Amino acid sequence: MNLDVAATGSITVPAIDLRTTDDVFARETADARAAVTPRPGSTLIADSVSAWFGQRKVLEQVSLAMRPNEVTALIGPSGCGKSTFLRILNRMHELVPSAGLAGQVLLDGVDIYGSQMRVTETRLKIGMVFQKPNPFPTMTIEENVLSGLKLSGSKPTMDKRQLVESCLRRAGLWEEVKTRLDALGGALSGGQQQRLCIARALAVTPDVLLMDEPCSALDPMSTRIIEETMRELVQQVTIVIVTHNMQQAARVSDQCAFFLVEEMEQPGRVVEAGTTSQMFSAPGDPRTSDYIQGRFG
Amino acid sequence: MAMPATNMMTVEERPRSFGASRTRGDAVFRGLTSSAGVFVFILIGSIAAFLIINGWPAISSVGLGNFLTSTKWQPVGLKPSYGVAGLLYDTILVSGIALVAAVPVSVGTAVLINEYAPKRLRSTLTGLVDLLAAFPSIIFGLWGLFYVMPNANGVAGWLSRHLGWIPLFQADGGLYTNSIFMAAIVLSIMIVPITTSIVREVIAQVPRDQCEAALGLGGTRWGMVRRVILPFGRSGIIGGAMLGLGRALGETVAIALILSPLFKIQASIIKPGGSTVASTIFNEFNEADLAHRQALMAIGLALFVLTLVVNSIARLAVSRSKGAGASSR
Amino acid sequence: MTDTALYPAESPSLASPMPDEPRVIARFGRIDVAEIIGSAISAAALTWLLFSAVAWNGAFGALLIWYATFIVMYRTVARAVHGRLVATDRVMTVVLTTCAALAFVPLVMIIIFVVSKGLKYLTASFFTDTLEAVGPQDSGGGAFHSIVGTLQQVGLAAAVAIPLAILTAVYLNEVKGRMSRGVRFVIDSMSGLPSIVAGLFVYSFWVVELGKGFSGFAGSMALIVLFIPTVTRASEEMLRIVPDSLREASLALGAPQWKTVLRVVLPNARSGLISAAILGTARAIGETAPMVLTVLGSSSLNWNVFEANQDDLPLFILKLIRSPNETQIARAWTGALVLVTLVLFLFTLARILGRDRRKATR
Repeated sequence: MNLDVAATGSITVPAIDLRTTDDVFARETADARAAVTPRPGSTLIADSVSAWFGQRKVLEQVSLAMRPNEVTALIGPSGCGKSTFLRILNRMHELVPSAGLAGQVLLDGVDIYGSQMRVTETRLKIGMVFQKPNPFPTMTIEENVLSGLKLSGSKPTMDKRQLVESCLRRAGLWEEVKTRLDALGGALSGGQQQRLCIARALAVTPDVLLMDEPCSALDPMSTRIIEETMRELVQQVTIVIVTHNMQQAARVSDQCAFFLVEEMEQPGRVVEAGTTSQMFSAPGDPRTSDYIQGRFG
Repeated sequence: MAMPATNMMTVEERPRSFGASRTRGDAVFRGLTSSAGVFVFILIGSIAAFLIINGWPAISSVGLGNFLTSTKWQPVGLKPSYGVAGLLYDTILVSGIALVAAVPVSVGTAVLINEYAPKRLRSTLTGLVDLLAAFPSIIFGLWGLFYVMPNANGVAGWLSRHLGWIPLFQADGGLYTNSIFMAAIVLSIMIVPITTSIVREVIAQVPRDQCEAALGLGGTRWGMVRRVILPFGRSGIIGGAMLGLGRALGETVAIALILSPLFKIQASIIKPGGSTVASTIFNEFNEADLAHRQALMAIGLALFVLTLVVNSIARLAVSRSKGAGASSR
Repeated sequence: MTDTALYPAESPSLASPMPDEPRVIARFGRIDVAEIIGSAISAAALTWLLFSAVAWNGAFGALLIWYATFIVMYRTVARAVHGRLVATDRVMTVVLTTCAALAFVPLVMIIIFVVSKGLKYLTASFFTDTLEAVGPQDSGGGAFHSIVGTLQQVGLAAAVAIPLAILTAVYLNEVKGRMSRGVRFVIDSMSGLPSIVAGLFVYSFWVVELGKGFSGFAGSMALIVLFIPTVTRASEEMLRIVPDSLREASLALGAPQWKTVLRVVLPNARSGLISAAILGTARAIGETAPMVLTVLGSSSLNWNVFEANQDDLPLFILKLIRSPNETQIARAWTGALVLVTLVLFLFTLARILGRDRRKATR
C-alpha cells in the first residue's frame, strides 16, 4: 500500500501563493465576498485570533485561511495552541469558563462570533470530530448518526434511513455496521467509533469539519481508513485537522500551518503556513524543517 | 516562504465578548433549574434560621456559657435550667464508644471485600453492606432491645467483674441493661455498614498498578494492604468514620428504646441510664410548653452544629483522598 | 535439586503433552488449613486449662482469651513454617476475616431475628385490617392503616423532593449559576441535619405555631427536608461522572444546552439517578423519629394525608413494641418484617434499575 503516492497525487497546486498570511487574508476575504462558492465547500478565515485562559495568553495573532475543498493541517509540538485554535473555529473555546478571545473568525465572510450568528447555528455549520471517539453510549448506531438532527432540531434533507446509509457510507463504516444499526454506539471498536463520530458530524451537512487528532487513539488500519475517508470528504466539505503525525499531515493535507511556542510561557504563534508540498519540501523557516524532520517536538 | 504572524499590524488585543450564545430554550432551562436551586436554598436555609431564632431565647435566658457548660437539664419548673453539657457528654460518649468499636471492624471488612474476597462474592458483599447502610434504625433498635440487652448482660457483668477497677466499668452489680454500653453496641453495629461502605469506596480508588507494583516486588498481600492501600485510604478511613459518627450522633429511636433517661453524668458506662440530645428531644417534645420547646430547639441546634462540624471534617477527608487519585501514593 | 533437574535437556512437554485445560492455581493447601485448625484446637485447650485453673468464668471472657491465644499460636506456627513475612500475612488474613464476620454476623442475625419473630403474626388480615377497635388480646388486627400512611407520606415526599433534587443537581453541575456556591454550601450543611431536628422544626413551625396540627403531610415535609440534601448530593455525583466529551460532542453538533442535558447528560446518568432516588426513598421509609413529632400515629385508617394524625409503619412498630402485651409485640415484629421487606424490595429495585445496560451489552 502506498498512501503517500495516493495522497500527494491528489494535492492540487494552489493557484494562489500563500506568501504572507495577511496577503492571503485580504484575497480570500475578497473571494468569499465576491462569489459565494456553491456547496460543497466553505471558506473559513481566522483573522488575528488571540486566545487567553484566565490571564495566560495561549495564542497570539493567528491569521489563517482554510479554503474550500482542501484539507488544512495544523501541526506543531504539544501545548502550542493547535487544539485551542481548532476549538475557537466552532466556538467550543468559550465552554471553558476562563476563556478569552480576540480577533474574528469568518465563515464565508460572516463573523461567527458576531451577534447575528447564534452559537448553535455556528456549530451546526462547523462540525467537529474529537481526539477520543465519543459516540453517545445510550444511543444505537442509527440514533448516533441522527443525533445531530435531533439535538439541533434541524430537519433532515432526505429520508432518515437514506441519510443514515449515506453518512455511514461516506464515513467508510456502512459495510461493517449495516446489519446491526440498532446496536449501541459503545459496542463498536475504537476505529469504528471514530468513524461513527464522523458520520454523526456529517449528518447535519456541515460546511466545515474540524478534526482534533482524530487518529491518535487508533491503530494503523483504522487510521488508514479514516485518512481515505477524509480525502473523499474533502470533495464536499472544508476540513481542518490537528495532527501530531507528520506522515499523516503529508498524506492528507493540502495546506499546512506550523504552530510553535517560541519561548517558555509565551503564547503560541503560527511560524509558517503554506502548501503541504512546499512546507515539506522547502520550508522557509529552519524550525519548521527541524520539526518536520523530527529533530524536536 | 512565509511570515510569522507577529509582524502583522496589531489589531485590538483585548478579549472580546463572545456574542449571543444562548437560545431561548436555554434561557427557559436555566431559569427553571436556577429557580429550583434558589428554592432549595431558601427552604433549607430558612430551617437553619428558624432553629437559630427559636433556640436563641432559651440559650440567652441562661447565657451561652452556662448553656454549653452546665450539666443541669431541668426544663420544667419555676426556675428552669437548660444545660446541654450533660446531654452532649452522653451523646458523644455513646457515639464515641460505638465508633471505636466500629472503625477497625469496618476497615477490616472493607479491605477484605476489596482485596481478599473472590470477585464474584465482592459485588454481593458490597450490595449487602450498602443495603444495611440503608436499613431503618428502628430495626436496629428492636434488635438491641430484644436480643442485645438480654444477651450482652453477661458481657457487661464480665467486664464489671474483671475490669471493675476502671471507673468506666464500675457497677454495683445486678442489672446492666438500658445502659450506655448497650446503646453503644447497637449503634456500632448500625454504623459499621455506613463506614465500611465509604472506606470501601475510597480504597477501590487505589490505582491498581501501585498494588501490582507492590505484589510484583515480592510483597505479600498484607504487605500491599499495609504499604499501599491503607496509606492511600487514610483520609477515606477518617472520612468514613466521621460520617458514621455523624449518623450516630443524630440517632434517636434506637437509643430512645434502649437507654433509660437519666440526667446525671455518671462515670460508668454499664450502669443503666443516660440521655442523649436526640433522645431527650424525642422523649420530651410532646409535653413541652413554649419555653421548653425553645429549649429543645436550642439543644437541637447544638446537636446540629456538632454534626455539621463532624460532617465537614468527613467531607473534606473523603474528597481529599478521592481527589488524590493517581498522583498520591 | 540440581540444575539438570530444573532445566532438563529435553522439554518434557514434547514427550508427554500437558493437558490443555485451565489448571487450578493453588494458594492455600491442605497443610495451611491444618495449621489453622491445629492452632484453634490447641488455643481452645489452653483456654480451658486457664479457666479451670484460675477459676474464671463467663463465655465472653473465654471467647476473648481463646481468640487471643489462637492468634498468637497461629502466628508462631506459621512463622516457624513459612517465615516472618508470610506469617504476618496469614495472621492478618485471619484477623480481617474476623472483622468481616463481626460486621456481617450481627446483620444476618438481625434479619433472621426479624423474619422469625415477624412470621408468627403474618396473615392476610395484617394487610387488610387496622387496629381500630381491636383489643390488645384480640386476634386479627393489622397494619393496613399504617401501610396506607407510609405509602402516602413517603410517596408525597418523594414526588416533591426527587424532581426538586434532580433539578438542583442539574443546576449545580450543568448550569453552574451564580448561586451554586451558596446552594451547595446549604445542601452540604443540611445533609448532616439529624432527623429528629428536622422533625422538631416541622413540629414547632407547622404543627404548633401555625396550628395545623399533626398530619401525614407534616411528616412528608420533614421527609422532604431530609430527602433533598441526600438525593441532590447523590444525583450530582451521578451527573459528574458523565464524561465531558459527551457534552462537547452534543454541543459541537449544534445542540442548545437544554437539549444536551435532556438528551445526552440525563440519559447517560439515568441508572445512577434512579438508584439515588430509590435509595433515598428507602431511607425515608424507615425514618421514625421525625414522624413521631409530625404524624403522631393513630390506630385507625385515615385516607386524608393532609388532615389529622395518621399512622405509618415505623410508628406502628414503635407504639406496639413498647406495649407490655405479647400479642401487640408480635404485631410490632410483623410490622418490622413488612418494613424490612419494603426496604429490601426498594433496594433490589434500585440495584436492578441501576445496573448499566451498556456494560451488559459490551
